[in-house]
Amino acid sequence: MASEESIQPAVYELPLRQELPVDAEIKGSEISLSESLLMRNALWFCRVRWLVIATLVCYGVLGQFRRSIDYFEIRSPGTWPFVMAGILTLFNLVFLFLARARTFPSKIIFNLWGQIIVDLVILTGVVYFIGSLETNIAFTYLFHIVLSCVFFSRRQSLIVTIMAIVMFAACIAAEYVLKILPSMSIFNESFHEQNHSPVLATLTVNFFFAIGIWLVVWYLASHLSWMVRRRDFELTETNLRLVAAQEERARHMLATTHQLKAPFAAIYSNAQLLLQGYCGDIPDEALQVIQRITSRSRRLTTEIQEMLQLANLSSTSQQSLPQSRIVSTDLLLWCKSQVDPIARERGVTFKVNVRPVAMVGTEDHFKMLFVNLLSNAVIYSHRNGHVHICCYKGPDSEPVVTIADNGIGIQPDKLPHIFEEHYRTNEAVQHNKESSGLGLAIVKNVAELYGIRIRVESRFGSGTKFELKFPAPNGSPGDNMKGETKCPIS
Amino acid sequence: MPYLLIVDDDEDFASTTATVLRKEGYDVQVELDIESAVKSMESKPPDLAILDVMFPENASAGFELARSMRHKSGKLKNIPILMLTAINTKFPLGFGPKDIDESWMPVTEFLEKPVDFDVLREKVAKLLSSNSADD
Repeated sequence: MASEESIQPAVYELPLRQELPVDAEIKGSEISLSESLLMRNALWFCRVRWLVIATLVCYGVLGQFRRSIDYFEIRSPGTWPFVMAGILTLFNLVFLFLARARTFPSKIIFNLWGQIIVDLVILTGVVYFIGSLETNIAFTYLFHIVLSCVFFSRRQSLIVTIMAIVMFAACIAAEYVLKILPSMSIFNESFHEQNHSPVLATLTVNFFFAIGIWLVVWYLASHLSWMVRRRDFELTETNLRLVAAQEERARHMLATTHQLKAPFAAIYSNAQLLLQGYCGDIPDEALQVIQRITSRSRRLTTEIQEMLQLANLSSTSQQSLPQSRIVSTDLLLWCKSQVDPIARERGVTFKVNVRPVAMVGTEDHFKMLFVNLLSNAVIYSHRNGHVHICCYKGPDSEPVVTIADNGIGIQPDKLPHIFEEHYRTNEAVQHNKESSGLGLAIVKNVAELYGIRIRVESRFGSGTKFELKFPAPNGSPGDNMKGETKCPIS
Repeated sequence: MPYLLIVDDDEDFASTTATVLRKEGYDVQVELDIESAVKSMESKPPDLAILDVMFPENASAGFELARSMRHKSGKLKNIPILMLTAINTKFPLGFGPKDIDESWMPVTEFLEKPVDFDVLREKVAKLLSSNSADD
């Protein structure tokens, strides 16, 4: 036998309840957009680039008509707009091909970066030819700065801004400081020609003025974008928490139902053994006691089920449920089959007039709804009474179901209260003691969940009719009246 | 004599059910956990399996056993399964989507606890006769 020391103890440390990391201050700023969104953005950039290409071509073409540009005192641009448009077209086709072919699905970010770098280089060329400091063309860099703030993280958008500044500075330096490039301008007479030695201080102020504006725009745009993303991140996290809580609650409900019902099932089974003579003869008085035990445990089981169903329905939203198309005939006949044993016991007969009509919802909820209404109709019918189930398509193609009985009925002043939890009329209690008063509250909750309109019509002592109007499945009013039929009013 | 296997962790309930069914002339074996049930089925396949759904270690163990009988085991494939559970509403009380998928949950019949013995006797007789008719 192994000694206690030789057995390695198994260790388990209870983890703390896992909290989702909501360090949005840090996370929100670094969250990147989803791949599909980045892909859409890459394609959108390419589409917008066609407009830029078209603008360049138009400018080039316009430049060929001297008269028209002379009027604005603009120089003929020559061929550079066509060259720029050509280069941009080639790159745009490559980017489009890569984005659509999805040869590197996880590398879409490189596609975007490639587009931005190419755009900045081409833009710097355009800025040079149009006049880097003589016109406001340099502010077109702002488009890329703002877009990068929207699509990239704050750090990445700063990189784009710095790249724009470096390229613009290189252009200015090459043109005005190092003078390795000839001065260019779209105007016939630029200030270079008027003042052969431009004031370096003016250029420097203009340059830093432009850079300053870009940095301010970057700061504002990236900050706004970060705030929007942080909010988005928080909403996503909250949503995840809600979904997790909903799942946890459903699991808890399941376990609670089981734990509460299972002991009563055992009590009921054992009581049945005694009642049915499996354990020998029992005196009549004892049998009556056992009968009461059986009856109460059965009733309690039903009540537990109904209370849990009600709690579950009250905290359920329709969006969280899977919807399916349900055919009225299958549904109503199944529900009727559930109530058949009680009906036989009470001598109540069904008259069924159900047309096949499609309903949309969660099948188990509709089953709960109709089983409750049908069992009420049977229970509160007189002996040998009739329950009429009718289903047809209404004038707006909406499914309409009516359940009518010729039972005890409800007094008019009590009708508004029948859907309240645990409410039971005195007449109902006298007629049937074994009810929780939760059945119609469940019906009300299901109706609210699916937008079902319920109309109750009752004649005290003669019977009650429930009319349920479901929302039309696909909102096509009046397209089909074939299923319409008439149902009697009890 | 048809051989029935009841798999239920509730010993009280399982033994009363077994008493009733034995009185009907069936050979009834009770297993209180899934592992023992699997061993028992492999050594002697039953004519009908009566399964609970929730077990202490796994809330869907009954469904999983039903699936493994249908999909993994050749000799247990055609055994009718009667699901007998305290849960009557499959959704939205928390079973997973696969558990509520009818094609995935190959259960022949579903009965809710507490069950009337008359209903149970009728259901068992029906399942056994339809299975022998299929054979």
